[in-house]
Amino acid sequence: MPRNTPRRRIEEKLYGTYMEFFEKAERERRWSVFDDIPWDEANPEASEDLAICAETFASVEMFLPDYTAGGLNVVRDYFGRAWFQANWGYEESKHSLALGEWLVRSGKRSKDEWFDLQENLLQARQWVPPFTTARQMTAYGMIQEQATFLIYIKHRERARLENDACLMKIYDYVARDERAHSKFYQDVMKVLLAEDRDGTLADIAHVLAHFKMPGVELVPDYDDRILKMRDAGIDRNVFIRKIYLPVLKYLGVSRHEMLAAQRKAIESQQAGQSSGQSATQAAE
Amino acid sequence: MSDQTDLLQMFKVVAERVDKKSFADVTRESVITDLGVDSLSMMQIVGEMETELDLQIPDEDLVEIVTVGDLCTKIESRMEA
Repeated sequence: MPRNTPRRRIEEKLYGTYMEFFEKAERERRWSVFDDIPWDEANPEASEDLAICAETFASVEMFLPDYTAGGLNVVRDYFGRAWFQANWGYEESKHSLALGEWLVRSGKRSKDEWFDLQENLLQARQWVPPFTTARQMTAYGMIQEQATFLIYIKHRERARLENDACLMKIYDYVARDERAHSKFYQDVMKVLLAEDRDGTLADIAHVLAHFKMPGVELVPDYDDRILKMRDAGIDRNVFIRKIYLPVLKYLGVSRHEMLAAQRKAIESQQAGQSSGQSATQAAE
Repeated sequence: MSDQTDLLQMFKVVAERVDKKSFADVTRESVITDLGVDSLSMMQIVGEMETELDLQIPDEDLVEIVTVGDLCTKIESRMEA
């Protein structure tokens, strides 16, 4: 088997990226649902809005079986990324668990309501990966995890204002995990950019053009829920200031380079559409 | 036609090209989010205008842009610099 191939080069670099991520996770970032959350500091008087937000996040996190299955299938041939995905699944599993436990232990939801929600969600809907290649899914993860990190940071503040030290701590741990996941994806994208800059930029542009947070299509009544969450969500300025520009800067991509890639992506999409139309017309 | 009108007109043309809808009624007072322009389209519009005018607005100034007039003012100040 030839060893000096671009794929092998990428795999060796990504193995190093994963080991760096995993070492930090093991040594500095591990937390326990049983030992590290101050459950007795949950505030039963906290508002229903706070509960709705936590329930919405728990609902989105609940699709973990789909996320892990979909994510792993896309990267199963790539060691570093596949092992990351397995570790990611473990870390994410604690997120829905901790948020669900908070809903029940704080008295905001009964156990029956919590189990009803689980059943309703997973039986009614299924998450389908929004992109088809490992590189596009990595670009998607990079943006989505960074956005999720910022949302949890905002909700940590909201929990603090409602004197719920328990929920605050949960958001603290969860946000830290999400940030680490985004950072891993950004590091992977850097390696991929070094190997194939044009192709990787095209994939980032494609993902940005079609980006949607996963909750939109998964959680029932999402539009009503988002009204309660709006002031703790992400507006245009936050997206530009805390996601778009910092991520591009970290990747070493200028706004104008990204813009050129976006233009190319749109042109190729339009070319694809018109050739699709021609094919349809010919078939007719 | 003044520079102000030129920039407003340029915004309308570029925004229509990017977002594929009419921006004919836009004024300098129009709030960009109210026009239904999302973050990425906004970055694209700014980038296209920068390219056409051969100038660059510093990244830190981008977050201060709320209205179409704010964007025009940022561009005007770069043109004068």
